[in-house]
Amino acid sequence: MNRITELQPAAVDLGRVTKRFGAGAPAVDDVSLQIAPGELVTLLGPSGCGKTTTLRMIAGLEDPTEGRITIGEDEVTHLPAEKRDVTMVFQSYALFPHMNVRANVGYGLKVARTPRAELTDRVEEALALVGLEAFAERPVDALSGGQQQRVALARALVMKPRVILFDEPLSNLDAKLRHHVRAEIRALQKRLGLTAVYVTHDQEEALAISDRVVVMNSGRIEQQGTPRDLYARPVSHFVADFIGSANIVPGEYDGSDIVLGDARIPHTQEITQGPVGVMIRPEAVRPAAQGLAGKVVSISFLGPVNQVDFDTPAGRVTGNLPDDAMGGLRPGAKVALSFAPRGLHLLPPRAV
Amino acid sequence: MPRAATVLTALAAGALIVLVGLPVLFILLQAVFPEFARGSLAEPFSKIVILTENDRLMVQTRNTLLLAVSVMIGSLILGLPVGILRGLCNVPGARIWDVIFLVPFLIPPFIAAIAWMMLLQPRGYLQQLLGFHMGGFLFTFAGVAFVMTLNLFPLVYFAVSRAFEAVGGRFAAAARVHGAGPVRAFVLITLPLSIPAVAASLLIVFAMSIEEFGTPAALAARTGFEVLVTGIYTRLSDWPIDLSGAALGSIILMALVLAAFTLQNWIATRRSYISQTGKPADAEKAELGRWRWPVLVLFGLVAAIGVVIPLATIAVTSFMGTISGGLSLSNFDTRHYAPIFSTGSRAGQALMTSGWLAVLTAFATAAIGGVVAYIVVRGTGRGRAVMDGLSVLPNAIPAIVLAVGVILAWNSPFLPLTLYGTAAILLVAYIGILLPYPIRYAVARLRQISGSLDDAARVAGASQGATLRHITLPLMAPSLIAAMMLVFAIASRELVASIMLAPAGMRTVGTFVFAQFEQGSVQTGMAMSVIAIAITSSILLAVNLWLARQGGSAFSG
Ligand SMILES: Nc1ncnc2c1ncn2[C@@H]1O[C@H](COP(=O)(O)OP(=O)(O)OP(=O)(O)O)[C@@H](O)[C@H]1O
Ligand SMILES: [Mg+2]
Repeated sequence: MNRITELQPAAVDLGRVTKRFGAGAPAVDDVSLQIAPGELVTLLGPSGCGKTTTLRMIAGLEDPTEGRITIGEDEVTHLPAEKRDVTMVFQSYALFPHMNVRANVGYGLKVARTPRAELTDRVEEALALVGLEAFAERPVDALSGGQQQRVALARALVMKPRVILFDEPLSNLDAKLRHHVRAEIRALQKRLGLTAVYVTHDQEEALAISDRVVVMNSGRIEQQGTPRDLYARPVSHFVADFIGSANIVPGEYDGSDIVLGDARIPHTQEITQGPVGVMIRPEAVRPAAQGLAGKVVSISFLGPVNQVDFDTPAGRVTGNLPDDAMGGLRPGAKVALSFAPRGLHLLPPRAV
Repeated sequence: MPRAATVLTALAAGALIVLVGLPVLFILLQAVFPEFARGSLAEPFSKIVILTENDRLMVQTRNTLLLAVSVMIGSLILGLPVGILRGLCNVPGARIWDVIFLVPFLIPPFIAAIAWMMLLQPRGYLQQLLGFHMGGFLFTFAGVAFVMTLNLFPLVYFAVSRAFEAVGGRFAAAARVHGAGPVRAFVLITLPLSIPAVAASLLIVFAMSIEEFGTPAALAARTGFEVLVTGIYTRLSDWPIDLSGAALGSIILMALVLAAFTLQNWIATRRSYISQTGKPADAEKAELGRWRWPVLVLFGLVAAIGVVIPLATIAVTSFMGTISGGLSLSNFDTRHYAPIFSTGSRAGQALMTSGWLAVLTAFATAAIGGVVAYIVVRGTGRGRAVMDGLSVLPNAIPAIVLAVGVILAWNSPFLPLTLYGTAAILLVAYIGILLPYPIRYAVARLRQISGSLDDAARVAGASQGATLRHITLPLMAPSLIAAMMLVFAIASRELVASIMLAPAGMRTVGTFVFAQFEQGSVQTGMAMSVIAIAITSSILLAVNLWLARQGGSAFSG
């Protein structure tokens, strides 16, 4: 049988890929990236950093200026999109407005001259996977945004892609639906064992859905790793700031202690001694018997936690404190601050 | 880019260059080198000096500008009040008035001019009915301006009513919320915000009156009042033939139209606050109350002068046994329709000739326009840039100028073979003249079709060609078909290029009517006009109904 559930995921390998549009800075600059079969990798970064361009080069919709791309065993660098076993879900869904749901989903199989019986089966299977069996004959403009999104997904799945690409697939949905659909996409991807590359500029979405996150900045890969890795051990101010929220204050490191204002905090990390940027996650901040001297500037109630701004000799530090850790703090109060080791990390000093 | 795309780009660029670029180039060369048509580059610029110093050229230029400005003012007087009322108030039967004011577009202006002559000239219908004539008015500058205004004022009406509808509803409501009274809201908000749209429509009126040939040819010839267009025509039809003069006149004409077009384009794109897609808010329209009847009388008056009188005159004339028999029932006769329906007659042949020429023009312009639009919107790199520039060129070229260019280019001694003197030369000219419509329609439509549809087809495994066939073309089809119908309607009664280029013995609907009026049976000419207007109206009506049935904003061209 030729079922979607039996698709063969492939590895993807980008080797030093660069893309230039005319003169000026390249849109994608010397990017190398390996994706294992069945893995979901997210490209994360601010607008214009080259996420979409990278994705489109994997799809074959954009021709790399330099470098090479392989999918499975095959080099595909300059192969046009229609010759690759790669499909894509677009931000705007890009459903064909003059075709109904069935014709949209079956379009790729029809182009490939798939026998009629198999085509029907596969379209049914794809629609079943996304829960839209009942909508097959609907015109696509008679569907809600979420349903259109599923049609786009079914259209991509029906091809049994070796790699599936998502370009901000959730950005046209409202917040509630977004959480729901991203969980569904992740479940489907795991169940089918899809190799997936997923583009987003929403860091929370990236952390929630990915096996691995690739943070991009100005066309380059800034850092890649598991969501936990990136959150706990960012390599730069950019990543620390982009993923979650972080206080980054200047300090000194002597190999065993961080010197922060008049406080010394024991810490071991492989990093050049001397001036460093100290990343402190807000949830790691706690009032303590001793530590960095701080004075409460303001308190705002956020629901699960209180956001407290402290003035310290090292600079402004924001902490997220649950009610039972507040200990009666008031604006103007002076406290010592300690930091949980999990939320403490050293970065190279900010370039001047 | 695959080979096929490169080849298509080259073909489309080649077509634009041959059909439009070459004629313009030959006009420029002829203007500079008086002996160019004989293959010599002798005495460059000599003619320009003579012509600009003591010639009718400057007078004609002045007359042209005067006429165009008069028609602009006339269109404003006729179109502005009804347009404002339609846009801001609940005028009874609003949709019906809209349809009525579309009719002038369907009457070829020179036919309307002939109708007004039949009506107003000495011993015309007016004199027969009321005992006086207005020939003294009609055969003057004012008369020409009057007839042309009646043809063009609907442009102002539609632009004004749409602008005021959009601006009046949305922004004026905001202004009134912020405390401005209705009059202040009108003066401070509605009026200034609508001015760009109105100005843009006036510039189109300006450009179209500059280009108009039939009306001045029919009326002004009797008064010695010459404009550039009739001047160019005379230089090429009366002995001694003056190629350089015609070329120079063409350049002035082109410069004027180009200026108007550029300004119009600038206003429309930079200065327009009216969204093209947003549907005008129908709410918030003022009630007319006791002004209802005066307003209806005003609409009725404008409709009577602009639509009913010319149409009725055309129809009545076509049914008159003899003109001298005058307006009486005993003079009623249908015999002038007979030749049109008998095959082999001159009238029947003219109808056939115009028919197939218009069909071929429609298909050719749609094909070329579609490809050009595709490259302009979806192309990349240098091909796109070149095509973007080339594609606006045809807009700036009046029909008569293109005809002059075609004469110069296709008679050139440099050519190994020529289409000149065959029916094909008419096709070449028609295509050049009418290309802007399909290009404009297709570009507008393509801009609405997201490029990610193409990408989606590609990742689904479709080649570029298959994507074009399955996705892009079906989505463009409605607007291309609409453009083809418009092209057919205009081409089927084209006059000026037909007069200048038709090979000996060949008649089109336009030249047939014109010739009948000059030296034949006016009634037969008018019968032919009735048939032509009926055919083009029903085609346009059918297309509009079909497009409406296709439904949805997705397919509005
Ligand atoms: N077809 C193109 N021609 C010229 N420049 C382009 C083209 N496509 C992308 N770029 C440029 O390349 C850079 C990267 O664009 P890209 O679309 O990959 O960004 P992105 O990370 O997807 O951003 P966003 O989050 O806004 O979608 C941008 O500076 C963009 O302007
Ligand atoms: Mg993007």
